[in-house]
Amino acid sequence: MARTGSRVLVVVFAGVLALFIIGPLAWLAVRAFAASWTYPNLLPDGWTFRWWSVVFSDQALGIAVQNSLFFAPITVLASAVICLPAAYAFARFEFPGRRFFLIGVFAANAFPKMGLFVSLAALFYALNLMNTILGILVVHVLGTVVFMTWIPAAAFAAVPRSLEEAARDAGASTLRTFFSVTLPMALPGILVAAIMSFLASFDEAQGTYLVGTPDYMTMPTQMYSLVLNYPTQVAAVFSILLAIPSVALLLAAHKHIVGGHLAEGFQIK
Amino acid sequence: MTAEVEARPAVVRLAGRAASGRSRGFLMALPPMVLIAMFIGFPVVLAFGFSLGFTGGLNRTVALIGQNVHAAHGLAPTFSAYAEMFTNARFLGDLFVTVVVTLISTVLVVLLALGVGLYLKFSGGLIGKVLSTLAVVPLFIPVVIASWAILGFYSANGFLRSVAAQFGLGFPVWSYTLVTVVIGSVWTSLPFATLLVTSGLQAVPQAMIDAARDAGASFWRVVVSVVVPMAGVPIIIATTFTAIGVLGSFTVPYFTGPNSPNMLGVDMSNYFSSFNQPQQAVVIAFVVFAMASGIAAVYVWANFRSAKESGAV
Repeated sequence: MARTGSRVLVVVFAGVLALFIIGPLAWLAVRAFAASWTYPNLLPDGWTFRWWSVVFSDQALGIAVQNSLFFAPITVLASAVICLPAAYAFARFEFPGRRFFLIGVFAANAFPKMGLFVSLAALFYALNLMNTILGILVVHVLGTVVFMTWIPAAAFAAVPRSLEEAARDAGASTLRTFFSVTLPMALPGILVAAIMSFLASFDEAQGTYLVGTPDYMTMPTQMYSLVLNYPTQVAAVFSILLAIPSVALLLAAHKHIVGGHLAEGFQIK
Repeated sequence: MTAEVEARPAVVRLAGRAASGRSRGFLMALPPMVLIAMFIGFPVVLAFGFSLGFTGGLNRTVALIGQNVHAAHGLAPTFSAYAEMFTNARFLGDLFVTVVVTLISTVLVVLLALGVGLYLKFSGGLIGKVLSTLAVVPLFIPVVIASWAILGFYSANGFLRSVAAQFGLGFPVWSYTLVTVVIGSVWTSLPFATLLVTSGLQAVPQAMIDAARDAGASFWRVVVSVVVPMAGVPIIIATTFTAIGVLGSFTVPYFTGPNSPNMLGVDMSNYFSSFNQPQQAVVIAFVVFAMASGIAAVYVWANFRSAKESGAV
């Protein structure tokens, strides 16, 4: 009796959680196909694809999509080049300042983002980085350092040293050992880091807005003005477009992310 | 004898490798540190100087453009920008709101994450899978969209009010209130906390739970005395990360919150862009940072405690 009772309770909890998480997204998504909507009906008055053509024929929105798809991969690449060697060093070497560096990465993340961008403005004016591609890239890469350092560091650390030693004993060079043993085993963790970095860049709005407007609008910054200047339905269509890459990545890497690579990375060792 | 002779070069080689590892490790770790020092550390120090009234050097442009700048005389710092903010009733109200929203959101997030994690640990099955998948979904939705979606869902013509109206009932409008700010904060913070807490709980050995059960402990007793303490470090990490994230958040309160009182992230942006008072914006940033540092200290302490326990130090 108590068992069925608690079972019902859990199902109710799952239902409420589903409503809480999915409800707002579904409610917004339906709006993208709604001709008009009368309160308090639960469905729109009619269906239409009109808002999609509005979005696809609007040049400014198209450019925002292009900009986002340009900045996100380059951010991931730049971040990987800068951070992956550091991640390996944190995992494998004991060096002076190691702990200070690890805490530094974290402290950089603890400073409020809006405050950081406000502080960055002075420096960016001085270095002529305002309204430049490089300036936006710097802002985007800054937001990915935590992911690209910590998660791969944990992945590298989890590769058993004995395997590397065995490869060395069998005559493999240091580089050969790294590329044939260490890297393949750490790859899922690096993949998770890359995806988190991609999403961080794709999602970055405040800094891009401060540094890039009006010359470089990305999808999230475009969303800011969209919400104020266009009908709700257009913002809904744009939201769906903006969510597509994220959901695709979710489906591709769900197993690795839930599998603990993310969680492992957030414990400094 | 021969063994000793042969063992020696190996030791020397190992020591040599450790020494080269020291410099190589340092050099490999340098690039992200330089990036952080240049584009976070340096501007933050600069901004701190600006908040204390030092308006020369790189701060000159900002100080010239900005209004209501408190300047220091000579080398003695002035705290008048801080004094101005801490006697400003609106700032104090927003500070209070920020602390309360952060506290409530963090508690809700950790409780939800624990609920999902515990269910997954003890029951699993289809419902467990559904719960954990649901909790991770927000990770993949840009915050701008999430805020916008949540605003519509709880608005005057939103879903909840529409459903209530079908039954002739009323339902409060939560959009543009602090309720949606809390809802939005919980929504966006849940995945991260759930991932950390779930993986922490999964790592608790089943044998210990069985042992406690065999000794006659009830389910809740096992949870409170065995499972949660053993997963303490990941839970603390999840809590601190959530709190720091909510504390400095901008997009959620900006989109879904009221004009006033609202959170300090929105104030920072207002003071910087709308009021053109960069010094006051920077002062707010440092107040938020001071609170975040307090939370961060707990995080660092928890990490090093766990590193010590596992013998890594």
